[in-house]
Amino acid sequence: MKSFLAALAFAAIAAFCVSSVLDTIQQSSSVAYTTSGARVGDPGKNLIGPN
Amino acid sequence: MPSSLSHLRALCAAIALLFVFAHPAAAQLTFKPTAEAVQEDKLLNALKEGDKITGRISIPDTMASSLIQPAGRDWRDFQRSKLPIIGGVAILGMIVLLAIFLAVRGRIRVDHGFSGTKILRFASFERFTHWLTASCFVVLALSGLNISFGRVLIMPLFGAQAFATMSGWAKIAHDYLAFPFMLGLAIMFLIWIKDNIPGKLDWQWIKQGGGILANGKHPPAKRFNAGQKGIFWIVIIGGALMSVSGWFMLFPYLPANVTALQFWTVIHAVIAMLFIAAMLAHIYIGSVGMEGAFDAMGTGEVDLNWAKEHHALWVAEEQAKGRAPSKDGTHAVAAE
Amino acid sequence: MARVKFLCDADRCIECNACVTACKNEHEVPWGINRRRVVTINDGKPGERSVSMACMHCTDAPCAAVCPVSCFYTTADGVVLHSKDLCIGCGYCFYACPFGAPQYPKVGNFGSRGKMDKCTYCAGGPEADSTPAEYAKYGANRLAEGKLPICAEMCSTKSLLAGDGAIIAEIYKERVMKRGYGSGMWGWKTAYADSPTG
Repeated sequence: MKSFLAALAFAAIAAFCVSSVLDTIQQSSSVAYTTSGARVGDPGKNLIGPN
Repeated sequence: MPSSLSHLRALCAAIALLFVFAHPAAAQLTFKPTAEAVQEDKLLNALKEGDKITGRISIPDTMASSLIQPAGRDWRDFQRSKLPIIGGVAILGMIVLLAIFLAVRGRIRVDHGFSGTKILRFASFERFTHWLTASCFVVLALSGLNISFGRVLIMPLFGAQAFATMSGWAKIAHDYLAFPFMLGLAIMFLIWIKDNIPGKLDWQWIKQGGGILANGKHPPAKRFNAGQKGIFWIVIIGGALMSVSGWFMLFPYLPANVTALQFWTVIHAVIAMLFIAAMLAHIYIGSVGMEGAFDAMGTGEVDLNWAKEHHALWVAEEQAKGRAPSKDGTHAVAAE
Repeated sequence: MARVKFLCDADRCIECNACVTACKNEHEVPWGINRRRVVTINDGKPGERSVSMACMHCTDAPCAAVCPVSCFYTTADGVVLHSKDLCIGCGYCFYACPFGAPQYPKVGNFGSRGKMDKCTYCAGGPEADSTPAEYAKYGANRLAEGKLPICAEMCSTKSLLAGDGAIIAEIYKERVMKRGYGSGMWGWKTAYADSPTG
């Protein structure tokens, strides 16, 4: 039982850690699809929502 | 300066001459745009299966260079008609098989009854690894099935909005629990590979049907019998395939190729259905199907009589090492 | 009601990208999201053709068929729209779409790439017509104002046609008869082959 609960807790914590790590390398399309030929300021939030 | 001016004048004259000579020549040519222009029909007919018509674009999103990929419709047909059949046959078929097995064979009992003496079968770290992988697997399987079949099976029960909210969370759980699952897989592989190399004994075990069909007949086995080794390799190979295909789906912009993504989603879905069916059998035999089996992963200690019946050679080995009680009486000393 | 479609006459398309720009402006589409794009086939070779492509609003749309939360719906005009309130951003529509229409706000990991956006045929979404809430999620609703999609209306060579599928197909056929050639109704076989009437 102890190993089982430890496993559940570990899985939840590991998943949370992975999600925070992956969120730091998340790129918005406006940044990813920009070349040196374009200077994009604020791309705006229309259609894509606040996040 | 004068020299450059004269150069310019000479250049203009040359261009003018070019027009004079070139124009009548061009007029004589009969330019046929039809003959030279790319035709959609020709491109479509020339496409290989799963290929796409691509061109040049002026935006940095390379995936946008795909103009038409008719394979998307095949993928739709796979999702809509083939996958429910594969999943239905595999999962429902396994449930029916297990129900029939339970009805016919009943619960597999410990023939000589419980001895009351325990022997340590799985140390706490092994149990931790097992439950880490298992708990992740259960969530991954349920959220995955929800993606494939929830729309038909669950959405009518709760309504579109509640189902979408639930599915959104299920998707997040699926994405991130995949990582502890992969970690569990890797540890399981490392700690149990040495006991899971197929050998001659396994062949005998298979020939005798594992002794699961007849009462009181137990082919000898070491720590893991052929059936358990089978489960081990199904988990390792199936899990590896799920992980590789899952990586492509987790980071869809890495392959940046929609037909590659279609291929990996199909692999992911088909292996998942077979994997879930196999795990149902594993869960059955480890709980309802066999008396005394759950203790191995529950407390880690199994009854000596159970161990002798199912893993006679392993018990002998443990006894030789002094890690198990010889008969009944003294309690096993936990392995360090 | 009419079954509306897009048709790009590639023999007229001059790759000016006005349709793309007009779309971007009309709906205030952020950088990186491409509801419409121009793809040039055999670029630089004799007989190159450019095709302006967006969501084709397919019959039996693959995106709608595979969406795990069933967020797509087809309007009476045959326009395929989706609800961003339901969308979970799983990306299945992108795998299924033959035309690469679905777009996502984020391009990193699958887990949080945001809600899908695509061409709405200038028909908005499930919100009330022409409201700020609809504009913020789906862009302008020109159809509700009795106008056609801005991309086709802006097209300087009248290469991109929008409207009743039967009528625009007739216009295209007349053009092909008159000039004696045509490179095909790009995407129609893939988008509308599943409908008995074409």
